[in-house]
This record gives sequence, C-alpha cells and structure tokens, in this order.
Amino acid sequence: MVFVTGIGIISAIGKNVSETLSSLLESCTGIGKINHLQTIHKDNYVAGEINYSLQELEGLGGLKNSNYNRTTLLSLLATQEALASADIKDVTAHRTGFISASSVGGMCHSELLYKDFLEHKSHENFIDTHYTGAHATDVAKHFGITDCVTTISTACSSAANAIMLGARLINNNILDRVIVGGTDALCKFTFNGFNTLMILDKEWCKPFDNNRKGLNLGEGAAYLVLESERVVKAENKKSLAILSGYGNANDAFHQTASSPDGQGAYAAIQKALEVANLSPTKIDYINAHGTGTANNDSSEAAAIQSIFKENIPPFSSTKAFTGHTLAAAASIEAVITILSIQHKAIFPNLNCVTQMQDTTLFPVTSLQKNAVLNHVLSNSFGFGGNCSSLIFSKN
Amino acid sequence: MENLIENLKKQIIEQLNLAEVKPEDIDPSAPLFGEGLGLDSIDALELIVLLEKNYGLKIQEPKDAKHIFQSVKTLAEYITSQKK
Amino acid sequence: MAMYINGTGCISHQNTIDVDSFFENSQIDLLPLLPAQEPDYKDYVPTNMLRRMSHIIKMGVAAAKISLQQAEIENVDAIITGTGLGCFEDTDKFLKTIIENNEQLLTPTSFIQSTHNTVAGQIALLIKCHNYNFTYTQQGLSFESALVDASMFLNENKNSNILVGGLDEAIQPYYDLLVKAGHIKKQEDIITEIEKNKTKGFCLGEGASFFVLSNQKNKTTKAQIKGIKKFTSIKEGHDLQSKLIAFLQELNLSINDISLVLSGNSGDAEDDKILNENNKHFFSTTDVVYFKNLCGEYFTASAFALWLASIIIEKQRVPKTLLQERSNKELKNILIVNQYRNTEYSFMCVSSC
Repeated sequence: MVFVTGIGIISAIGKNVSETLSSLLESCTGIGKINHLQTIHKDNYVAGEINYSLQELEGLGGLKNSNYNRTTLLSLLATQEALASADIKDVTAHRTGFISASSVGGMCHSELLYKDFLEHKSHENFIDTHYTGAHATDVAKHFGITDCVTTISTACSSAANAIMLGARLINNNILDRVIVGGTDALCKFTFNGFNTLMILDKEWCKPFDNNRKGLNLGEGAAYLVLESERVVKAENKKSLAILSGYGNANDAFHQTASSPDGQGAYAAIQKALEVANLSPTKIDYINAHGTGTANNDSSEAAAIQSIFKENIPPFSSTKAFTGHTLAAAASIEAVITILSIQHKAIFPNLNCVTQMQDTTLFPVTSLQKNAVLNHVLSNSFGFGGNCSSLIFSKN
Repeated sequence: MENLIENLKKQIIEQLNLAEVKPEDIDPSAPLFGEGLGLDSIDALELIVLLEKNYGLKIQEPKDAKHIFQSVKTLAEYITSQKK
Repeated sequence: MAMYINGTGCISHQNTIDVDSFFENSQIDLLPLLPAQEPDYKDYVPTNMLRRMSHIIKMGVAAAKISLQQAEIENVDAIITGTGLGCFEDTDKFLKTIIENNEQLLTPTSFIQSTHNTVAGQIALLIKCHNYNFTYTQQGLSFESALVDASMFLNENKNSNILVGGLDEAIQPYYDLLVKAGHIKKQEDIITEIEKNKTKGFCLGEGASFFVLSNQKNKTTKAQIKGIKKFTSIKEGHDLQSKLIAFLQELNLSINDISLVLSGNSGDAEDDKILNENNKHFFSTTDVVYFKNLCGEYFTASAFALWLASIIIEKQRVPKTLLQERSNKELKNILIVNQYRNTEYSFMCVSSC
C-alpha cells in the first residue's frame, strides 16, 4: 500500500494548500487577466496565471538571485511545502526519490532569449536550463535528494504518470519514499501553440457545458509525498490518503484529438480500478480532466458513461478554478482530490450551465459538503493519446 | 477560376508537405478530408492559416470551415465569392 | 530480474542498419557534429504519417519498426522512450515562426509534433498499441529511466513484450547553442584516442536505438540485460568504484567476470576523469572500448551502447575499429559504464544467455 503523507501546491488559486482550500470552498476562481506573461494576446485572453513575478516567487521561497526560471521556482516552492507537510527533516533517512513532470521546462526563459540567439546577439547560455528535466535536477539537488531523480513528459497526463511511477517504485521495493508531481509555467510557446489549435476560450472556460468554446491555460506546480507502509508504521506517520489505484493507456487515435468513444480514457480508468481492486460502483466522485474543449469533454463523458453505466458518480472539473496547467495538472488535481477526501467536500465544476447535447451527464456545479468520499477517481489525458487515471482512497 | 484552382493545389501541397502528390493528381472536385486526399483536423487548421496568409480571409470557427474545405473547387468558389 | 533483448533497431552516425557491414566497415571519423546515417524512411512509415515527421520522429519510428521486425512481433504491451532533448527541430521551427511573425499566422503542426512524447505516441498510432506509454526526459539518464521502468513492468506483468528506446537529435540550432555554451570540442582538439583527451568539449552525435524486451527467451533473443543502475551524482574519489562493486555483487558477479567494458568517455578531459580512474583501477587487464568514438555524445548515447553490447554478445565479435586484437575468450558479460557531463552516471550489465 502506498500512503500520501504530504502535499504542496501553488497555482492561480493560491500559493499553498491553505489558500487553495479557501479558494475551492469559496468557489473563487483564479482565471483572470494576464499580467506577467508578455504576449500580444494578453489583452484578448484570460488565464490561470499566478500573480507573482519571478522575483516575488523567489522571495516566497526565501531565495535571492537564484537564476532559477519560473518552472523551476514553482516546482521548488511546491516541493518545499510537500516536504514540510510530510514532516520530512532528513531526506536521507530512507531511500527517497524525486519524480517530476514538465512540458514547458525552461522554455519560459529560453523563448525570451531566442530572438537574440538567432540574430547572434545573445550572450547568455540558456540551453543548460532549457530541458524539461533540468528543473528536477535543480530541485532534487536543492533538497539533497539523490536516490532516484527523473522527469516524465507525456503532455497533460505527465504528473499522473509521475505519481504512478512513484507508487510503482515503492511497490517494487526500489524506494521507501518519493516526492511526485509536476510543474509548468505559462509561456508564449504553449500559449501560441494552443491558439493555433483553436482550442483556447477567450473568456472563462465552461467545462462540460454544451456551449463550451475551449480551455483556459494555467500554470502551477504540486507534489505529493508517497511513503511505503513500512515507513509510515515505523515513523508513526499520519497519512492524508491512500494512492490505491493507477492506470495508463494510449488512445492511439490521433496525435492531438481524443477518440469520440474515449477508448484510451476507458482503458486507463479500467486499469486504475483493477489495481485498486474496486468495482466502478465504489467510486464516490470523479475529478475529471474536463478541459472545456469540445473534443475532450465529449470523449471523457463517453468513457465515463461506458464504465459507470447507470451508476454515474458525481463528477466535476476544477479547471475553471485553476486553468489547464498542462504537465502539472494531474498533481494539482491530485492535491485537490485529497483535499476533497479530507474535508468531505465535492468542489464545483464552475461555469457549467447547459447540459451537453450528446450525453445525459451533468457535473456538480455547487459546493457539496458532508460528502461520503471513500474512493475518488482523477483523470488526466494528454497529446499523443496518453491517458492516465489515479484513484485516491480515504485512510 | 482555373488559375486559382491550380495555385491552390500547389499551395496545399506545399503547406501540408504532401511530397508525393503532384498538382495533376488532385481532382478539384474530390473530397479533401476523410477519403480523397485523406486530410485530417490538423490539416484543416493549416488550411485556415493558408487562407488568411495568402488570401486575407479569416475563419473564426473551425466547424464553419467544413463546407468551405470540402474540395479544392469549393475552396476556390469561397475565395472568389469573398473577393466580390 | 533479467530482461531478454529479442529485437533491436539502431540509427546512428555509423551504418547500424546493416549489422554485418557495421562490424566490418564502421569508422572512427570524429567531427564536432556527427549526423546520423539515415535509411529510406518510406520502407518503415506510411507516406501520410511521414509528411509530418521531423528528423527525430522519423529516426525513432524507423528504429522501433526495425526492432519489432527483428523480434517478429507486431504489437507490444508497453512503449517506453527516453529522450533528453525531445523534438527540437519542431520546437525551433515553431519558436522561429513565433518570433518572425510576431505571434500571428502560426500553424499547429510543428507545435503538436514538439511535445516530448510525440515519438512514443506516433509508434502507438502506427502499430495501434493502446497499452502503457511513457516518455522520460531526464537528460543523461533518460534512457536509463526508461529501462528501470521496463524492468519494473516486466516484474509486474509476466509474459510481456516491451518496446524501449533512447533517442536524441543533433540539429544545427541545437549544435549552435551547445557551441555557445562551450560544450562542443574544437575540430583541432579532436583525437581518436578519446580516453587520452586533454581538452574540453565533446563531439555531438545523434541517434535512435530501440529494443524489444521480454522476460521470455525465444529464437530471436540476442542477449540479456542482467542489471541496470543509475546515479544522479557521483562524488570525487572512490564513489564510482564502490558503487560498481556493489552493483556487480547484486548480480553475483565480480570484476573478473567482465569480458569487455564499453566506457562512456565523451572526450571532455574534465568529464572523463572519474571514468578513466575507474577503468585504470579495475580494468587494466580487461578490454575497454569507447563507444562514443562511433556515435558521439548525446543524452541517450547509452542506448547506442546497449545496442552495441547486444550485437557483440550475439555475434561474439567486436568491431575492428574499436578493438584491433582481443583474446578468444567467450564474451559473456559486457559492462557499460556511462557518464553525461560528469553529472549523471549509469551501469548496465549485458550478458549472453
């Protein structure tokens, strides 16, 4: 069994767990005006931007002139909180790993210097911090984690895969303890990339609404501390939740679009249920991927319908709170899921008014307290057909 | 119209990197998507940009593009109609 | 737990598609930039998929296809790739267009092909594989991360076949960035005895090496991977040496059991220091060959080393260009010791079976 003993998060709805919980309980979205990202589109779009400059983020972490880029700083802050939350004072006390995820990596910095590089004007060496795995090297080094460090990059399912890998490393007795999650900062590259796919909503997104127009991008980082049963018992640790199931599958339908019947999503959810040894009827709530695009929400709804049949659990997408945080999404939503379980609350799918035409499914649209949440499913689906699902269970 | 159709064929081949296809291989009335040339949703987005870049015509919603991009002929007819 | 190598495919600076020719004709011809020798990709990928594929994607998909053909299977239970740099050609293309067009009139193809898991995704599309699909991007340990995952997967799923690959591309803009960063060896500093280098910098290579791994041996099996270990940091002094002894002990092997060492010297004198000390300490009487003389240095060069080790075990011979003379002793256990910029280190033990 794999236990979650700590969590850390930073996103548009809060710089830590406490602020995040307040925003969720008050239905307070983080989607709004773009202030820091320099793009010609900034006045025409909204996003889930974290309203701190690079220097301010450094300040939050007690750093100065670190030369860390935005992606790395977000990762560092969330990891710092997760380690404190799990009361880890000595990372070398057990075999400890750091498994992270990112799609942006250092692009948020590289893109600012690329023009000068192309024109042979740039003097700065930005390539060494450009790679998606570079932040993991820096963050692991910062906290002294050496036993196992790696980065997964599978687009929007990345952090779910990092969490899954962490659990498997513990179950295969390679590690006793692992900090798992992901990070991505807003940047021009991804902003323009999603814009070319014509799947950005210029206004506040409406996941699962029939009139949805697309997604809002977001940024952030979140990490969980996973520990083995042996360590939890030995240190008499309090655990926040159990990571009871996980599954990864491939849609193999198209490079970016999801299959209409949600085949990949179906398979991932199925696998997670098998690992958790649960039947679909045991799932009390689904934190959906729910990006707000025409394609994803239909495809995911179809998959949910196929698996759960007449017993559709309550579900919501929290992306209208945070925006779509790409490689960090699954870990941000894992933290939100754990907060759900801890506080017996189903956080609402904001901004959804009209049921989708092609389904009878409709999400939870207002905060539900005193919810019985023994087992919660969290979905994340990415480009390249990469579909991942996690199941968290009450302790 | 003939000229426009020939130009469009060349532009489509170049934009979509259809290296094995020659302009004479493309039947102007044949479907571009699904069967025929077998283009997909990403190609549709590429053609939307081609339309704006080369002809100054902007399509706001990808779903509006379906009937415009049915064949090279319908595309040429759309461009001609917008120029009036 | 042993992993059997049942199929391989390799595209590299050498002609590694024709394995017999490789043994006879491979040359050490080091230049600061070592582009891959590429096949006709139409032999491996349908044209409508090929048209969108950039350099690394073509290399990866073709190498994967070759390994599946060798293993005589059409589908797998998992696809796991490792790439340090990812799809840089598409990244550079999209970024350039953003700059030139001031974020207007951009097209999606190069953006969607720039995500790191594009190769794994395209392979899944090509062979219609709906199974487990992961991509690791941890610089010099990207391929090793993929292998560790494969090893766990085989432990969890007996009777599986996994496609594992390590790949990176060396396109001009990336090369230029590395020159600017001071990582590339100057032409006049290049010597063929890579281990004797006194100057900084390495020759940048590229390639894609794919393997079909299984816990079942069959008629296509070439070799087995007995063990793999990766390290995110190695201290100066005897750290690597003690870690090597521990690694071999776990496999019930000793230094004397090693028939051949594939050493990951890059040619950068500073970065190669610890490896050279290790080789001197343990392997003064064992044959040591330097695989980056053939493939150059890149994040996933250890995948090339694994390919090289597997065909050496299979054919029981070493390419002449790497080792002029050797004893007739059986090549039983090959040890790969790799490093990337003296930051990331790994061991692999590849054995006959």
